[in-house]
Amino acid sequence: MTQRQLQGRAELSRKTLDSIRESGRRSQRARLRRSYSMYALLLPGILFVLLFSYTPMYGLVIGFKKYNIFAGANPFDAISHSPWVGLDNWTALWRQSKFRQAVTNTFVISALKVMFCFPVGIILAVMINEVRNNVMRRGLQTVMYLPHFLSWVVVGALFMNIMGTTGLVNQAIIALGGEPQKFFMDNRWFRFLLLLTSSWKESGWNTIVYLAAMAGIDPQLYEAARIDRANRLQLIWHVTLPGIASTIVMMLILRLGGIMDAGFSQILVMYNPTVYKSGDIIGTFVYREGLGKLNWSQGTMVGFFNSLINMVLILGGNMLSRRLTQRSIW
Amino acid sequence: MGARMMKPGKRSSAAFGLSPGERALGAVNVFLLTIIGLMMVLPFLNTVAKSFSSNNAITTGKVIFTPVDFQLGTYKYVTGQSQFWDSLRVSVLITLLGTAGAMTISCLTAYPLSKTWLYGRKPVILFFVFTMLFSGGMVPNYLLMRSLGLINTLWVLFVPGMLSVYNVILLKNFFEDIPEAIEESAQLDGAGNIRTLISIVLPMSLPALATIGLFYAVGYWDNYMTGLLYITKPDMRPLQTYLYVIVTEAVNVDETLSMDALENIALNTEAIRAATIVLACVPIMCVYPFLQKYFVKGMRVGSVKG
Repeated sequence: MTQRQLQGRAELSRKTLDSIRESGRRSQRARLRRSYSMYALLLPGILFVLLFSYTPMYGLVIGFKKYNIFAGANPFDAISHSPWVGLDNWTALWRQSKFRQAVTNTFVISALKVMFCFPVGIILAVMINEVRNNVMRRGLQTVMYLPHFLSWVVVGALFMNIMGTTGLVNQAIIALGGEPQKFFMDNRWFRFLLLLTSSWKESGWNTIVYLAAMAGIDPQLYEAARIDRANRLQLIWHVTLPGIASTIVMMLILRLGGIMDAGFSQILVMYNPTVYKSGDIIGTFVYREGLGKLNWSQGTMVGFFNSLINMVLILGGNMLSRRLTQRSIW
Repeated sequence: MGARMMKPGKRSSAAFGLSPGERALGAVNVFLLTIIGLMMVLPFLNTVAKSFSSNNAITTGKVIFTPVDFQLGTYKYVTGQSQFWDSLRVSVLITLLGTAGAMTISCLTAYPLSKTWLYGRKPVILFFVFTMLFSGGMVPNYLLMRSLGLINTLWVLFVPGMLSVYNVILLKNFFEDIPEAIEESAQLDGAGNIRTLISIVLPMSLPALATIGLFYAVGYWDNYMTGLLYITKPDMRPLQTYLYVIVTEAVNVDETLSMDALENIALNTEAIRAATIVLACVPIMCVYPFLQKYFVKGMRVGSVKG
């Protein structure tokens, strides 16, 4: 290769490189321009979240102040006019056995829900997946998804109706010669009632994710297992369940994020002072003692505590999920 | 693959015969599922039956799943309450306005976030997602609404709920699945972002929009907390909050009044409660069957995507 040819090549490649760079720069500019106009669409959402989510976060400082709602022009302005008190609100809270009770109940009820309500969805999904008749299958799904769409007020009222002192369940108990039970006013029964109603409402809905995962299992796996003379139960155990294992792990870990809400809107409908001992949770405590009794600072402090643990749980759960199943919510 | 995924039930029975034992197992399975299905329906049937039954039939415990001494008095009573109609109007209004507003703002937010080439996409997504992790809590939220002068207004019932980050992320995942090439062809024809969103992206995501719309609508319709927290005027309460007041007061009534006292009231409080529940559920029952196929599809795509 002669010197000139080489120079020509270098010249050529420099030109291509330049033009690539130029077009890159142009596309970069186009990308920037398109991004700008996209941000116009994003603006309402960003402002919205700033106002309704981030502004209340600033309000969390109330938890560290002796808040006087009338200290400023409006309740939010009053925040900066109230004196700091450090962790006084926290120590005052922790001294109340009612608060400690609510914290314990929150964890206990959540743990019970994970242990007993979480598997129900999986079992139901496996059972529905085994139904061969498509009409039957669709009918079952229609019925089982429905409770998810009812409000907790309606669900609570439905169960008060059938499990109240004169309800159907107690009629059956009496007919069978048993003692009628006050399910809604008995600390021995109240948590069971919570587990029952939350399974009733959400189990059917929870099957959707598992059924989708089962639909994605390669049919050849079933055929291969069948050739190896696996029976129906063995197919479930060795093909179906392993096939949805990663989904189960992910759902379980994501469930961690819900630990701090043991079912606020559920319990607020169903509880009453006689079952505070077994059913009062952080959410209902804040509602009653913070908002109800205008205990702004303490109410905020509890909310802060709640949010903080919640964040740790969600982040931890998401990290675990990413590590174990290579899947995460974001 | 698609056809096989739609009908997982066909898979092994089509290729292999089932043994008698397995067939029996299948029958037991269907039987158990039917019982579970009935358990989902029976509480509702009992409530409907009570709402149509006479006071006497209810107090003597004769009502099981069919009305005894059929009467419409309770419904006349419930629909005769001006409170009921006020609350119904509020609920319908906030569900319609809220869902429309929420869909608009959610689509506007989700569409840009679905673009991988968007500058600053990651931080912006984090900005939104962080609100799912951490929140101000009940008290600061209440104080904010009070500062904004929203207490006892209709606005407070639907405006703050118009952006659910969870729904936005579901929508974003849907939009990401739309081939970029189709949108680019529209952009070459001179369509701007909004034009592309309205005329290309949205029509292609109807199942997703139906799903998310249903989530928002049900969320608004079923929400009793907002009304409880921010509304003190009885005639501005949404239906679910009205129901909450009836239900929780009824518990106290049951506690304090003896059975004899209840019998003297011409209408049974349980029946009144039951009739209100039934009326509050009617709209959901009407919409649900039509949207079911959409939300199942929508939930699958949205949730399976990691």
